[in-house]
Amino acid sequence: MISFQNLTAGYGSCHVLESISARAAAGEFIALIGPNGCGKSTLLKTLCGIITLSSGRITLNDKSLRELPLKMRARNIAYLAQSREALPTMQVEEVVRLGRAPFRGGLGKISAAGETAISSALSRTHSEPFKARRFDSLSGGEQARVLLARALAVGAPVLLADEPIAALDPFYQLSMMQTLKAEAASGKTVIAALHDLSLAAQFADQIWLMHQGTILANGTPNEVLDNENLKTVFGIKLPVGGFRPLELAP
Amino acid sequence: MKLIFLILGTAGAILLSVFFGAADLSAGRTLQALMGQGREIDITIVRELRLPRTLLGAIIGAGLGASGAALQGYTRNPLAAPGILGFTSCAALGAVIALYFGFHQAVPFAALLGTALGAFLILQIAGPRKGATTLILAGVGVGAFATAITGLIMNFAPNPWALSEIVYWLMGSLKNAELGGLIICAPLTALGIALLLAVGPDLRTLSLGEETATSLGVSLGKVRALLIAGTALCVGSGVAIAGAIGFIGLFVPHIMRLIFGPDPLKLIPLSALGGAGFLVLADIVTRAMAGPGTQLYLGILTSLIGVPFFLYLAVRETRT
Repeated sequence: MISFQNLTAGYGSCHVLESISARAAAGEFIALIGPNGCGKSTLLKTLCGIITLSSGRITLNDKSLRELPLKMRARNIAYLAQSREALPTMQVEEVVRLGRAPFRGGLGKISAAGETAISSALSRTHSEPFKARRFDSLSGGEQARVLLARALAVGAPVLLADEPIAALDPFYQLSMMQTLKAEAASGKTVIAALHDLSLAAQFADQIWLMHQGTILANGTPNEVLDNENLKTVFGIKLPVGGFRPLELAP
Repeated sequence: MKLIFLILGTAGAILLSVFFGAADLSAGRTLQALMGQGREIDITIVRELRLPRTLLGAIIGAGLGASGAALQGYTRNPLAAPGILGFTSCAALGAVIALYFGFHQAVPFAALLGTALGAFLILQIAGPRKGATTLILAGVGVGAFATAITGLIMNFAPNPWALSEIVYWLMGSLKNAELGGLIICAPLTALGIALLLAVGPDLRTLSLGEETATSLGVSLGKVRALLIAGTALCVGSGVAIAGAIGFIGLFVPHIMRLIFGPDPLKLIPLSALGGAGFLVLADIVTRAMAGPGTQLYLGILTSLIGVPFFLYLAVRETRT
């Protein structure tokens, strides 16, 4: 379980998040929704310690994040960045193996459990067929799946994913959302910044609707995604008949 | 198999260097002298001149290669190298100040002090939470400043002899290599390489970018401090003994990357091995090309080889 109280954070003197609070329980899939620049990425970066908070408190299972040593924090919170950065010439499997960095000993040996986590992550993201290829030989969508596999390979109780399906085609969007949902169902906390309201409504247990650095609404998709909130945040209306779930073809 | 070739190549260069020199010694006599047998003059040539020179070349080359690989791994910039990021210039400035004031014995220590001060300055400017680009800018800036001060000192050199001494020293050479230099250089370079190897796993994680690496438990401040300290020890101790030898830290890691792949953790020891072999070979060439009364300086040769390679990389970078 990860929670934060009165969180204020940003870049230098510019505060992006202003005194926000929320909690995400184990087993929950939370969709972080909001327009560009509302603070979704900043919140995820702050929660995993990339950005130092100006004030407030983040707790992981009721323990302050600040008190956790760097390696312990990395073992407990996995983060998928929005940018698709990796050494271009690196082999796909090597990229995914980096997810086990927080667990590696002196000589960099990966445990049997680690090897299992790596192959499971490759398979859950459908990245197995190209695991021996160079990272820069993949398409944007394939790279995005490999980096999601890298984040899944950590096997952390909390997964923070910044736009994990942005570059994917409809099949893989749906498929990766199912993967994230299954990850949450296995007892983990998943918080993903998303722009697809329909998929968020279909898969998320909770939605945190962000607006101008604050969490404007917080609850189940039905509670949050109403006409009033959508108009305030995005200037749009709920589609007639509501959001329709997508399904993979048999 | 490739690794065996690299090891054999480096070992071969080291052996060749011991068996090759201005004095006409047969392989048998050299071997005897190496084991302390035969004529006294042979023993002196082999054990006090050729062997320290060869070992120093290997150690300095290893330090330059390893620090270049680590800097390129950290900055993820193919043009990063100890010479370009100011470490060599700072070491050279320290040595030039000692030469200017005529403190010849103090040159190694002055070079080490120069590198330490330069490294401290780079670390202060780069800051604990700033990115790799800041480190590059800080290094280039501090290096340019050190080069400018070196120029100023040469400008005000007290006499032509002092000036020529500085100029020759800046060209880099192993001609004055001796056991004393080896005793200073070897442990410092070994410590430097050890520090660089210690950051190797984190450099591998950093290939995913600084933010992701931080989320995977990498302390950027710690990596930067160890990297700069390791590079300063390798480069400082090398420049302290042999003067400014450029470009090995730039192109040896690139060649190793082409052969062995991009893993920064593996590239550090491989570039150390490659750097050792290359510098020893380059030193053999300078000795072979030296005529009576003339000397080809090692730093000039490595730069002559390195500059075209540097330009090739720069052009390739702008095209991709």
